[in-house]
Amino acid sequence: MPIELNGVGFTYPDGSRAIGGVDLRVDDGERLAIVGQNGAGKTTTVKLMNRLLLPTEGEVLVNGASTAKRTTAQVARDVGYVFQNPDDQLFAADVRSEIEYLPKYLKWPDEKREERCARAIELTGIGDHLDTNPKDLPSAIRKFVAIAAILVSECRYVILDEPTAGLDSRGLALLHGMLDRLGDEGVAVITITHDMRFVIDAFRRVVAMADGAVIADGDRRDVFLDDDILRRSRIRRPDAAQLARDLNLSRRALTVDDVVELVP
Amino acid sequence: MVLAALTGVGFTYAYAEQPALVGIDLQLEEGRLHGVVGLNSSGKTTLCSLIRGVIPHFHHGDLTGEVVILGRPLLDWDPAELSRTIGCVFDNPFTQISGIRETVFEEIAIGLENLGVPRDEMIERVESVVEQLGIEAIVEKNPNELSGGQRQKVAFASIIAMDAPVVVIDEPTSQLDPEASEAVFEIIEGLKHRGKSIVLAEHKIDLLAQYADTITVMNEGTVVMHGPTRDVVGSDEFGAYGVVPPEVTELGRRLAAAGKPLDRLPIKRAEAFDEISVRIGRSTHAH
Amino acid sequence: MTNNAVAAVADRYRQPMTLGNAVLDIHPIAMVAGITALIVVGLASAGWIVPLAVSALFVGIAYLAGRGPSYLVTILKLWIAVGLILFALRALLVKGETVLVPLGPIAITREGIENGLRFTTAVMVICGGVTLFFAIVSMRRLMLALERIGVSPRVSYVILASFQAITDLGATARVVLDAQKARGIETEGNVFVRARAFFPVLAPVFLTAMTATEERAIALDARAFNNPGRHTSLLNLKPLTAVDTVLVVLSLVVAAAAVTGGILGWF
Repeated sequence: MPIELNGVGFTYPDGSRAIGGVDLRVDDGERLAIVGQNGAGKTTTVKLMNRLLLPTEGEVLVNGASTAKRTTAQVARDVGYVFQNPDDQLFAADVRSEIEYLPKYLKWPDEKREERCARAIELTGIGDHLDTNPKDLPSAIRKFVAIAAILVSECRYVILDEPTAGLDSRGLALLHGMLDRLGDEGVAVITITHDMRFVIDAFRRVVAMADGAVIADGDRRDVFLDDDILRRSRIRRPDAAQLARDLNLSRRALTVDDVVELVP
Repeated sequence: MVLAALTGVGFTYAYAEQPALVGIDLQLEEGRLHGVVGLNSSGKTTLCSLIRGVIPHFHHGDLTGEVVILGRPLLDWDPAELSRTIGCVFDNPFTQISGIRETVFEEIAIGLENLGVPRDEMIERVESVVEQLGIEAIVEKNPNELSGGQRQKVAFASIIAMDAPVVVIDEPTSQLDPEASEAVFEIIEGLKHRGKSIVLAEHKIDLLAQYADTITVMNEGTVVMHGPTRDVVGSDEFGAYGVVPPEVTELGRRLAAAGKPLDRLPIKRAEAFDEISVRIGRSTHAH
Repeated sequence: MTNNAVAAVADRYRQPMTLGNAVLDIHPIAMVAGITALIVVGLASAGWIVPLAVSALFVGIAYLAGRGPSYLVTILKLWIAVGLILFALRALLVKGETVLVPLGPIAITREGIENGLRFTTAVMVICGGVTLFFAIVSMRRLMLALERIGVSPRVSYVILASFQAITDLGATARVVLDAQKARGIETEGNVFVRARAFFPVLAPVFLTAMTATEERAIALDARAFNNPGRHTSLLNLKPLTAVDTVLVVLSLVVAAAAVTGGILGWF
C-alpha cells in the first residue's frame, strides 16, 4: 500500500507557506530521492509523510488511511523517520537497549523481538558496539544506531534525512548495502539529500523541489538531463555527468561508468 | 613564517582512556589554505582545537610534544591574544551563535564589540560580510530562529568580520546545499588571497581538491599523509584511509582500469576536461 | 532584500536607537525605576483600590507603548487563572464577624472579602508590573545600560543567555519529541502514555543542553569575549535624558512617599 500526497499544502501558523499543491505517490519497495535547495520544502514534505506535520490543505494517505486520523507514533510504525542528527533520537545507556527499546515498548514476544533486533543490527553493521554508550561512539556510527532503532520497527517505509553527511567510504558502503537489503525486503526508502553522487549511485526516481513545489518527478536521467529543472531547484550535476556534457560525449550520461564507456 | 609546527604531539582528553592525537609531526605554512580530511573521530576536530589553542587552554588533558603557533610555543600564548589571532568556527551551527542578540546584524557585530572596534567601522565591516555571504535577506531576523544552514552562514560571517590573520574552520558547510557550499569555499579562497592562513576540516573532498593548497589526512589520531593537494589526493594510498576521492579522480582510475589511462590523474573537473579533450582529439585524429 | 535595504539597516545602527514610540524609548533604567515605584505604591496601600488603580495604569502604559492588546490578553488570563482563585480562597477561608453568606461550616464574611480583595490586588499588581516589564523593556537594552554603569559584561551575558536558554530548551524538546514520535514512541494521550515517553525525551534534551553549553563557551571565546580591553557596542543607546532623569528621581520620591504613607496609614 502506498504513501499518497494529494494536493498537499502546508502553511506554518505564522503564515509562511512551506509547500503547496504537492502530489506525490510512493509505492511499496520504491526508492526515491527528494532534492532541492535549502528551504525548497523537502523536509516539510517528508514530515507530512509520517505525520510529524498535518497538511493544512489536501490529504496525506498512508496505506489508504488519512494520517489525520492516527497519532504520529502509530503512523511511524508504517513510516519510520531517521533524523539527520542522531543525538535527537538516542537516549539509552547502551546500543542494545536503544535497539530493544521499541520492541519492549510494544511488548513484542521474545522471539519476534530477538529476530527484529538481530536484523536491524545486521543491516546497520553495529554488532561490535552493542554494549557501548551511544554518546561514546563516533557520529557516523551513532547515525547507524539511530537507523537501527527505526528499522527494528516493522515499518514499510523509511525516511532518511541526509544519510551520507559525515560518512566515510566504509560508512557509504554500509549504507549502500543496507539500501539493497531493504529493497530486497520490499521496504521503501525515501531520502532527502544534497549529495548528488549518492542520489545517482543509489536512486532511480528523483523528485526535484523548488519554492515549495514539486518541479520534476521521474527517472534520474530525465531529471538531470533538464537544465531548466536544475537551475530552478539549484542542484548540480555530479562532475562526471557535467564532464560528459561539456565534452559533447553525451547529454544523458550520469554515472562514472557511463563516462568510462564513452571516452575513446 | 610557519603557521603551526607540531613535533611529536600527542593529546589525551581528561577522563578519556584513548589518546585523541598520537605522534603528530606536521608543519603548516602561513598564507595558505590547508585542508584536513579523515574519518569521523580520526582526530580532525582535536587537531583544529589544538591549533586554535582551545586545547589545552579550555579542554584540559595530557598534551605531549611541542606545538609552536606563529613562532611562539602554544603554552606561552595568552589565551585572549590567541583567540584574537586565530578565528574559529566549529561545525555545530546551533552552538556557534551567541544566543544573546536580537538580530543577525547584531550577532555578527559581537566579536567586533569585544575587540573594541569603533561603531562606524563596526557597521561597515558587518555590512561588508553580509554582502560577501549574500545574507542580506536575514540581517533583521532573530539569529535564534534561523535554520541550521542559515546559522552556519551567520557563524561564518561573524568570524570573517573579525578579520583575524588565521582562521580555523571545522566543517563550515555541513548543513549547506551545494551552491551555498561553493560560495563559502569561494569566500575562503578570497581570504587566502588577502594573505590569511586557513585550516579547514571538511568532508567535501571535491571542493577541497579544487581549493586547498595542502591536504592532511588523519587516521586514528595521527597524520598519515600530508603534502600538496595534488600529491595527496592523486596518490593511490589516499583512498586507503576511508576518504572518498573526488569523482573525477575516480573517473581517471576507472579509465585506467578499463585500459584507457589518462596522461595525468585529474583531481579537478577542469583537469579532467583537458585530459579527456586531448584524448578525444587524438582518437578522432587516428580515425 | 537589496543592498540598499541593508544600508538602511546599517544606518539605523548609526543613529541613536529608537523604537519609534515615546514610551518604549524611555531609558531602560528609568523604566525599571518607574515600574518598580508603581508596584511599591500598590503594595504600600492598605486597601484594594490603589493597587487596582495601579494595575489599570499598567494597562494604560502598555497601550501607550503600543503593546496594549497582547498585554491585556496576558493580564486577563492571569487575573482569571490566579486572581480569581486567590480571591475565592481568601474569601472562603478568612474568618470574620460580619457574615454575608452562610455556607454551612464556612461562611463568606465581609472581612474575608476585604482581605481577599486586598491580597489579590496586591499579588496582581506585582504580576502586572513584571508582565509590563517584559512587554516594554528590551532586556538587551537594559543589560547594555547596566554595562554602561559598570556591570560586568559577563554578568549581563549570563542573564541574557539564561533567558535564551529557556527558549532553546523548549525548541530542543520539540525536536526531540518529534524524533521520538518518529520512531514509534507515543507521546500523545493519557498521563501514563506521556509518562513512558518522559525519559526518551528528557535524556537527549539534557545531553544536547550539556554539550551546547560547552561549545557555546568556546564559540564566545572565539568572538573575543574574554578580550581584556575596552568593549564597544553596536547599539547606540541614548544616554539618560533630562526626562529620564526626572522620571528616575520622581520614581524614588513616589516610592519613598508611598512607603512612608503606608506606614503612617495615609491610604
